[in-house]
Amino acid sequence: MGVIIGPRVIEAGLSLRLVLISPVAVAAGFPSPAQDYFDGRIDLNEHLIKDITSTYIVRVSGDSMEQAGISDGDELIVNRALEPRDGSVVVAVLDGELTVKRLKITAAGVVLQAANPLYPDISVPALADLTIWGVATRCLHHV
Amino acid sequence: MSEARQQIALVDVNCFYASAERAFDPSLEGKPLVVLSNNDGCAVTRSPEAKALGISTGEPWFKIAPRAKEWGLVARSSNYELYGDISARVMELLGRYSAWLEVYSIDEAFLGIKGSPDQVVGLGRTIRTAVQRNVGMPVCVGIAATKTLAKLANRWAKNNPALGGVCRWESMDPESRELLMARLPVSEVWGVAGRLERRLNAMGICSILELSRADPVMVRDRFSVVLMRTVLELRGTPCLPLEEERVGRDQLIFSRSFSTPLTSVPEFRQVLSVYAQQASARLARHHLQAKVLTAFAGTSHYNPKDKSFPSVCVPLPMPTSDPVLLTRAAHALLPAIQDGVKYARAGIMVTDLRPSGNQQPLEPFTNPHEERGIGPLVEQISRKYGRSTIGLGFAGLRSGLDWSMKRGMRSPRYTTHWDELPVARAN
Repeated sequence: MGVIIGPRVIEAGLSLRLVLISPVAVAAGFPSPAQDYFDGRIDLNEHLIKDITSTYIVRVSGDSMEQAGISDGDELIVNRALEPRDGSVVVAVLDGELTVKRLKITAAGVVLQAANPLYPDISVPALADLTIWGVATRCLHHV
Repeated sequence: MSEARQQIALVDVNCFYASAERAFDPSLEGKPLVVLSNNDGCAVTRSPEAKALGISTGEPWFKIAPRAKEWGLVARSSNYELYGDISARVMELLGRYSAWLEVYSIDEAFLGIKGSPDQVVGLGRTIRTAVQRNVGMPVCVGIAATKTLAKLANRWAKNNPALGGVCRWESMDPESRELLMARLPVSEVWGVAGRLERRLNAMGICSILELSRADPVMVRDRFSVVLMRTVLELRGTPCLPLEEERVGRDQLIFSRSFSTPLTSVPEFRQVLSVYAQQASARLARHHLQAKVLTAFAGTSHYNPKDKSFPSVCVPLPMPTSDPVLLTRAAHALLPAIQDGVKYARAGIMVTDLRPSGNQQPLEPFTNPHEERGIGPLVEQISRKYGRSTIGLGFAGLRSGLDWSMKRGMRSPRYTTHWDELPVARAN
């Protein structure tokens, strides 16, 4: 599997395009009436990756984001190029390790929160005091 | 000079391998770090902290290792899959800023750019920010009218943090440029090294400034057209156009050091078979055929006794990419292998390459193996089911052959293997 290394050019900021898939099987010998509309199969890369140069996949270890729908062992699709906002799920560098947290930006300061009250908040005066590695855009959750 | 004249930017990743390691393992930030060559032989990339310890490029790991702990030095084996993917990301991103991109090596590329001096410097900063943000790689950008000067400007940007990683040669004042060129030895010019440097020195041309002031015609007559172009490029006259893609690769080399030395002919037979098949696969993929095969082996330079560096050069009966013919040719080295001597490396090189299918050989000279399509078949199967699923005779199928490379300190292949993804902690 080469989800993020496929040699596709995906333009930065490309919006999701609706794709028609071949609707029905057609008897051999006849030109398919649908073939003029067939534009390739649904492509997960296209759907999940907005910019191939800045998108990475990380594996989650631990249950502190469980209540945000992110479980131990899930894969997160992370875009390094996105601007982190209030409410973003981010991968931040804490003590030399990549850590998943929710980012809260308020007038009082900036907080990294786990989605589990058992884990303490990490508060800093400004966003610049944090090293944000990337912003998570999708969670590949094992159901 | 028109303001919108073509300029050349050289973008180059700082300490590429070390930066790639750090991008996925932030605990390495600020620590001295070296990345080792194949087989963990010697330091090929050093972080600035490792340079500050006095470790030089090419220093053998066994000499550094005893002091690593005391220095807090971290070593990593080369992780070529990671570096290759990071490089591809950087190059793709650079391609968005210029339609004119020449990938020069794994970590550097020339870009054709246009605009006023302020615009091109601004573009350089934009590129630098984008590569840092998207890929996490620090780069420096050198901009000039010629490739040779862009290299110099890039170097200047690297050594002067005050420039913020971007330097346009023509924007420096003339006195500073002369001072810099007078301080740098000719060997710092792109393409000048070794014997050429000694010959230039013998003529009293020691600094880059002296080279730039040499008479181009004299340089052409006494040296070469290539060096004359360098002189002109140093004076700001573009002589080396951007190449979209380097065509005519003229050789392929397959060579490695062994983790444990090879000492017997049967082991060599196996190793050479593997290389010959790799060469065959690579040739087939690029639709090339080779006319000459060279096979070589050597003892370690650190092992003063038992010096042995056998090599053979085998002209092939016809241009070919056939694994059977290449394997047979590589085995011509076997009689030169001395039993019992500890060989540290071996390899094969195929040269005199040409596109396959250009010339159909006359029937009596066609190769029976090629007719049966063994090469393409082996390649097809390996592509579908992975390397090491099929091989010819002596190479065998065992995985993890004991002579394969030692890479004990390799970091995970973070971006190319599902089971080696970077871990983000949620606890």
